[in-house]
Amino acid sequence: MPILSELTKNQLLAALPNNELQRWLPQLEPVDLPLGQVLYESGSNLRHVYFPTSAIVSLLYVMENGASAEIAVVGYEGIVGISLFMGGESTPSRAVVQSAGQGFRLKAQLMKDEFNRAGPVMHLLLRYTQALITQMSQTAVCNRHHSLDQQLCRWLLLSLDRLHHDELVMTQELIANMLGVRREGVTEAAHHLQEAGLIRYARGHITLLDRARLEKRVCECYAVVKKKYDRLLPDEKAI
Amino acid sequence: MAGLWWLDDCNETAMNVPRCHPSDPKQNQLLAALPDDDLARWQSHLEPVDLPRGLVLCESGLPAAYAYFPTTAIVSLLYMTQHGASAEIAVVGNDGVVGISLFMGGNATPSRAVVQSAGRGYRLRAQVAKDEFQRGGPALNMLLRYTQGMIEQVAQTAMCNRYHSIDQQMCRRLLLGLDRLPTAELAMTQELLASLLGVRREGVTAAALKLQLAGVIRYSRGRIAVLDRVRLEQRTCECYAMSKKEYGRLPSLPIAA
Repeated sequence: MPILSELTKNQLLAALPNNELQRWLPQLEPVDLPLGQVLYESGSNLRHVYFPTSAIVSLLYVMENGASAEIAVVGYEGIVGISLFMGGESTPSRAVVQSAGQGFRLKAQLMKDEFNRAGPVMHLLLRYTQALITQMSQTAVCNRHHSLDQQLCRWLLLSLDRLHHDELVMTQELIANMLGVRREGVTEAAHHLQEAGLIRYARGHITLLDRARLEKRVCECYAVVKKKYDRLLPDEKAI
Repeated sequence: MAGLWWLDDCNETAMNVPRCHPSDPKQNQLLAALPDDDLARWQSHLEPVDLPRGLVLCESGLPAAYAYFPTTAIVSLLYMTQHGASAEIAVVGNDGVVGISLFMGGNATPSRAVVQSAGRGYRLRAQVAKDEFQRGGPALNMLLRYTQGMIEQVAQTAMCNRYHSIDQQMCRRLLLGLDRLPTAELAMTQELLASLLGVRREGVTAAALKLQLAGVIRYSRGRIAVLDRVRLEQRTCECYAMSKKEYGRLPSLPIAA
C-alpha cells in the first residue's frame, strides 16, 4: 500500500475527503514515469488514469500528418485521462511524459465507478477539468497572438510550477515539438533568455535563474491560467 | 457570492426579450436527447429567448446567470487578451449549451459568450440548472459528453491557429457556422470574421476574395452565401472533419449508468 505522504504530493489526491482516500488507498498503484513514456495514444481506450506526483505530462494534439503541439500540461496538480469520466471513452490527444518522475495510477473502471458516485470526487474532478479547459483555451489564444519568446516563457513557467525544483531536463527539439514551431525559433528565443540572465541552458538542462524577470516577460496567458488553477483547486481538503 | 447572482444579468435588461415564440426545445440537440422525465421537469423552467446578434450572454470572469440552449442562434465563446484582441475558441449552436461552468463548478466562466448569428434559444436559470446537474444521471452524463466534445474543439482551435493558413481557417469557420444553421447563408461581416479568427481584417478580405473568385461563396453587405459546400470542404484543413467526427461520435454513445 502506498505511503500517504507520497500520495498527497498530488493535489487532487491530497484534496480527497478521508473516506475516499481510504477507499482508494489499496487501489492506487505507484508508477515510474520516465521521459518520453506515452501514457495514452490518441484514439486509444484508456486503461488507467494517472496522478503525477513529480512527473510532468504533456497533452499533445496530433494531426493527420503527424505534426503535433502541446495543448496542456499536467503535473502534481492534476490528473491525466479526463475523457474517461467525461464520457468520451477514448482520448483525442496523446499524453507523453515530458519530465521524468513518479505518480500513481488507478484502473479505468475504478475511476469511473468513483466518479459515478456523484459526490465530492466528481465535483473535484469537474473543477479540475474546468481549469484544464482554461489552459487549453489560453493556449489557443496564445498561439494566435503572442510571440515565440513570450510563449517560451509561458511554457517554462507552466512547467516549472509543476516541479519541486528549478531545473528542467529538456532538449530544444522537444520544446519545439511542444510549441509546434521550428527548432531554430526555440534556439533563438532560448538564447534571448540566456543573454538576459533569466535562464541557463546547457546540455539539455534548463536552469531558472531569475523567476521574477521571466514572469515580466511572459504574456498574460500564464497569469490567467495560474489564477484559474489557484482558484479552482482547493489548498485544503474538500468536505 | 450566491446572493449576487442577479448582479450579472448578462446585459439582458437592456434587451427586449419576448416571452413567447413558436419554437420547440427539441430543436436543440441536447434538449432533444434528454430523457422524457427530465425534459418534462425542465419544461416549466425553460424560457424561450430571442438572441439578437451581439448580445453578450456571459462576460468573462463573471458567474453565468443562465444556461442557454440555442435553437437557431449561434454563440461564439471568445477569449480576450488584455489588449482587447480576441479569438474564438469554440462555437455553440443547436448542438450545445452555453454555460458549462454551471455544472463543471468554478462559478465564473473563463470566456465571453456572444451571440454571433441572431436567432432563438431557451434558457434555464443558473440555480435551476445547477440543481438539475446535481441530480446526476443521464442529463449530467450527456452534458459531460458534450463538454468533452467542446474540449476537443478548443484543442483543435489551438492547433489550427498554429499550423493552418487563414484561407483554411476561414473555410473551417464558415463550415462550423453552416452546420449550425438551417440556411446556406451566414450573416457575418469581415470585421467580425477577423475578430473571431483573431487575425487582421486585411487577411480575411484577401481570403474571402479568393473564395468568391473561385465561385465557392458570394459575399455582399455583411452576408456570406455558400454556393459550393463541397469545394468549401475540400479547401478547409483537416480540423473541420476531425471536429465533426468528434461531435458526431459523442452523442451516439450509450448513456452510462
